[in-house]
This record gives sequence, C-alpha cells and structure tokens, in this order.
Amino acid sequence: MDLFLDALALVLTPMAIASIGLGALVGLIFGSIPGLTFTVALALALPITFGMDPVPAIGLLLGTYIGGMTGGSVSAILLGIPGTPSAAATVLDGHQMTKQGEASIALGTAVIVSVFGGLFSLLVMIVSVDLVSRLAIGFGPAELFALVLFGMSTICGLCGDSLIKGLISGVLGLMIMTVGIDAIDGVPRMTFGSINLLQGVNLLVAMIGLFAVPFIIEAFSQKGERDIQAQRVAKVRAELPSLKMLFGKISLILRCSALGTGIGAIPGTGGAIASFLAYDHAKRFSKKPQSFGKGNMEGVIAPEAANNAVTGGTLIPLLSLGIPGDPATAIVLAGLMIHGIQPGPALFMNNAGEVYGMYVAVALAYLWVLALQLMGIRIFVHVLKIPREMLAVAVLVLCAIGAYSIRNSAFDIYAMGAIGLLAYVLVAVRVPITPIILGMVLGPTLENEFRTAMMLSGGSFDIFLNSPTVLVFFALAAGVIGLQVVAELKLRKKTKEKIEMTDA
Amino acid sequence: MTNRVQDIIVATVLLLLGAIWTWLVIDTIRPGFGDGDIGARAFPMVFGILLMVFSGVLLASKLPRSDRDENLFVGDMEIPKSSRLDWLPALLVLGQICLYGFLLEKIGFVLATPIVVLLAMVVSLRERSAVKLLGMSLGLTVGSWLLFEKVLGIYLANGTWLNLG
Repeated sequence: MDLFLDALALVLTPMAIASIGLGALVGLIFGSIPGLTFTVALALALPITFGMDPVPAIGLLLGTYIGGMTGGSVSAILLGIPGTPSAAATVLDGHQMTKQGEASIALGTAVIVSVFGGLFSLLVMIVSVDLVSRLAIGFGPAELFALVLFGMSTICGLCGDSLIKGLISGVLGLMIMTVGIDAIDGVPRMTFGSINLLQGVNLLVAMIGLFAVPFIIEAFSQKGERDIQAQRVAKVRAELPSLKMLFGKISLILRCSALGTGIGAIPGTGGAIASFLAYDHAKRFSKKPQSFGKGNMEGVIAPEAANNAVTGGTLIPLLSLGIPGDPATAIVLAGLMIHGIQPGPALFMNNAGEVYGMYVAVALAYLWVLALQLMGIRIFVHVLKIPREMLAVAVLVLCAIGAYSIRNSAFDIYAMGAIGLLAYVLVAVRVPITPIILGMVLGPTLENEFRTAMMLSGGSFDIFLNSPTVLVFFALAAGVIGLQVVAELKLRKKTKEKIEMTDA
Repeated sequence: MTNRVQDIIVATVLLLLGAIWTWLVIDTIRPGFGDGDIGARAFPMVFGILLMVFSGVLLASKLPRSDRDENLFVGDMEIPKSSRLDWLPALLVLGQICLYGFLLEKIGFVLATPIVVLLAMVVSLRERSAVKLLGMSLGLTVGSWLLFEKVLGIYLANGTWLNLG
C-alpha cells in the first residue's frame, strides 16, 4: 500500500499529468491519421523524454502508446481507413454506421469500450506482472537465453505472411546489433576502423529510421492521393451510448477484453490479430450474425475492446521478462532503459515504485484518452484534413532532431537515413520489419546470456540440456516454428488444389 | 516486375550479403579461446550463416516455376502501387536527410532547418506557393527551436562554419 501511495505521489504531479496528457493527445492524433502510426509517434517522442524524470517520461510514452491504439478507430469509423492496423476490423461495421448517419454513437461507443478494455487489461497486468516476475526470478543465463530465443521465434513466426521472411528479418536485426565493441571481450566487430561505429548502431536511431523514414518516403511518393474524404465528416461529435445498451453488451465486452489481453501477452501477435479474432468471436455468438458488416454495433464493440486490451497484455512480458511483444513496446522498453529501469524478473526488487507509477500512469492515460476523445473529436476530424505530405516534412525535421539529440552526432542522422531506406525497401518487397527491431532489442541479451552460460559450464552444452525450463522454452520455440511451417504448407496445398480445380 | 522475380532478387542479394558478412567476420574478428570462451566472432558468424541459409531457402522456394502458377498465384500478379519501389522519392529523402545532417554541423540548426524544409517542399513535393513555403520553413524552425531548445532544454546543433546560436 505504501508503494502504491508513493507511486500516486510520483504520478499526480502537474508535470507527470501533463506529460501523460500530451502523450495521449499526440498518440490520438498520430493514431487517427492513416499511415502515420503511433509507433512513429513513439519513436519521435522518445528523444523528448531525455531531460525528464523517469515517471513523467514513461508516462509520456505510455500515453502515446495508449492514445495511438485508441485513435485508430477515428479514421476507421469516419473515413473507412484504419488509422492503425489494429483498427482494421473496426472499419467493417464502424464505417457502415457512419454511412447510416450513426458516426457519433459509433465513435462514443468505441471510446467507452476502448477505455474499458484498456482498464480491464491493466488489472490483469497488475496481477500477472508480479506473478510472472516471481516465477522468472530464479532464471539463470541458460534459461534467459532460452526465453529470449522463444520470444524471437514467436515474433519471427507470427508476424508477416511468410515464416522465412520473418526469420530473415529477425537475423538482419541480430546482425545489426553485433556491430560495435563486443560487450564481453571488448573487441571491435564490423567497424571497419570507423570511430562512429565503435559504439554500434544506436537502438533509438534505428527505431526512428525504421518507422519514420518509410512514412516520409511513402508520403512524398503518394503526394495528393488521399485528402478526399475528410470534408464530409467535419460535423461529427462523440455521443455517449446509453448505459442500458452498454450493460446489454457487458458480456461481449468482458469476453473481448479477456481475449485481447491474452493475445497481447503473446509476443509477436498484437492488436490487429486480437481485433479480428474478437470480431469473429462476436459474429459467431451474435443473435444476428447476418447483420455484421452492415453497421452492427457489436462489430465496433468487439474489436475496440480487444485491441485496447492488448496494451495491458503486451506490457506483461515486457515488464516481467523484458521481452517486448511489438515495435511499440520495444520503444517503450528503450525508454525504460534510458531512464535506468531494466524490465525483467528483478524489476520489482529494483524499481517497484516506478512500476506502480506506470500502473497509475496507464489508468491516467485512459482517463485522458476518454476526455480528449469525447471533447476533442472535432479537432481530430480537422487534423485528418492536413495533407500527409506536409506532416511528413514536419516528421523529417523531428526525426533528424531526435536522432541528433541522442549523441549530438550527425553520424546518427546518416545512420537513420540509411536504415530508413533499408526499411522502405524491405517493406516494399514484403519483408516484415517488426522482427528486425525485436532482433535488435533482444540480440545483445541473447548473445550475452549464451556466452555467460557457456563460461559457467566451462564450454559444456549440458547447462542447456539439464534444465527443464530451458527444454520447455526450446520445445515451445520449435512448436511455434513447426506450427507456422504446417500452416504455410497447408496454404500451399490449398492453392495447388485450387489450380487443379481451375484446370479441371 | 512480378513478386516472384522480386523475391528471387531479394533472396540473391541477401545470400550475397550473408556470404560477404560471414567472410568479413572470419577475416576481421578473432575466435574465442575455447573452454567456455565462445569469443566475439561466434555470434556474428552464426548470424551470417543463418542469413545465407534462410535466403537460400527463400531462393530455392521461388526458383521452380510452372506456367500454371503464373496464372493463379497472387504473387505473380502486377505489383500493387503500395508495394512498388519508388526509388526517386526514396533517394531524394535519403539525400535530404544526409544534407540536413551535414548542414546541422556546419551552419547550425537555425539555418539548416529552413533550407532543408524548403528543399524538401520544392524538390519532393513540387510546392510553389510562397506562403506555404515560408510558413512551413519558418514555422517548423521556430516551433522546434522553441520546443526543444527553450522548453525541453535539448541541445540543437550550432554550426562550425556559421553559428546563429
């Protein structure tokens, strides 16, 4: 209780409250603009936190994350274009409701269930983080290596359409992070005599490059292709749904929130998968499944409750094990580390106050989101009218400032540009970039824990084979990869059958 | 270019990258001493080999081709606009970013920012409206200077050739 009161005192300062509110606002704006995801907002917000105290800094990042996740529904409902991938399922019925003149009630319901889903996942998170941390506190280097390997395999296997491309992407991320001075032996690796490369590729620089630069290039190359639809939705507001309606759907909201939290806790999955699963679940159990896709309110409630519940779910492995489940939480992880908070099993021993502060910050961020969405929806509609290419020019300047401010070095700006170009090319050739960033985040831990384990065992692999925990993680990793291979083979067989049928 | 051809090119480039990386790692990083000392070379080398293996698998899966596949697989259809590589805007953006980095160190943030914003708007966006050009370049410069330097206390570059503070 004392810890909680201390955390309240840390978060309920004007600076922290304002930071969380600013983050929620920026996240909502970035999340609601199609193509400008909240991951970009997080990458740009990170350098701003350098001069802040830990709690307001983390509050700013969490506010951006939560605001962004909620903001995606605005353009999904109003324009039929999801602001974020996790709002894609909301388009199906949300935009139909707009066409039927029910945009205001759709927006109001979306924000209410989003906040409910988020707060539900926060409660689960509070219980789970401590529990998982206690379980993981006894992990040695071998177990940590196996855990990170499992996390990597899940992420590479589950994101994107092709397992092999996911694995290639993950390996590229791991390779990038080996550049620089080796942490154990102090040997320079792949630096080619460059002083700038001795420190390696900075994680934050890489994140800004990976997420912001492709957006700038796309906005510049698709200039003037979007601004059509914002005009006709200018006179909209968020209308609160009736309590009777909400209570009537409470079972669905609870089930979808639980589904979202569970999905979020699995690294590599994320909001898009959760929202589509929730949509499918709602349709299956609906009394009127035929009305889905034609403006059914349940088609808005289910994905919105689920995708916001993902926020708490993804924070469970992040805080308790140090494994980020998606790019957004990878940036949050980087922010935590910058401010001296090392997520993982020992988190509660070293930074209990800050962790409780984060819980309060998440709750506060949802309150900010609720207030901003209900009162400021008209402003977001106007934001949707700003041409994307103009925003891209501003993002270009902010990216450069962000990259430069990390080490006051122009080299980081060049590195950001090069990594950004690489990311643009990879996205264009359908190689997912999420595993790159997670490979970069988890790569150093993977290598250091393996080498430490081998030193402890005197070069014997028995240290991995004698631990049941290690074997369980290895089996899970093999299972994830195996399942993905089977799924891809099945898909290939189906396509072959289609070909044969066409021929026949 | 079809998606299949694109995948073959990507796989070949990555295979070569993996091979060059592995060769450079073996050539420039010393191995461990054994008895538990894995050394600094092992992981970069394994990653290079893994890249070669995965790229090889991707290449092998894309090489066999039949005429029937061509007609049915989505992967062989015309590439949609969203996944097409627009090299010119991409290289222009890279050039603008590099120029910005160079100018930041030489003439400082206050002068480099309006120059790069003007350049991006004129060259990449083909914007000709004087009001927009002036508004964006001055607005972004003053706005970010106030936010970062004055409010947040983040150091913005001073020039070595010219310094306006």
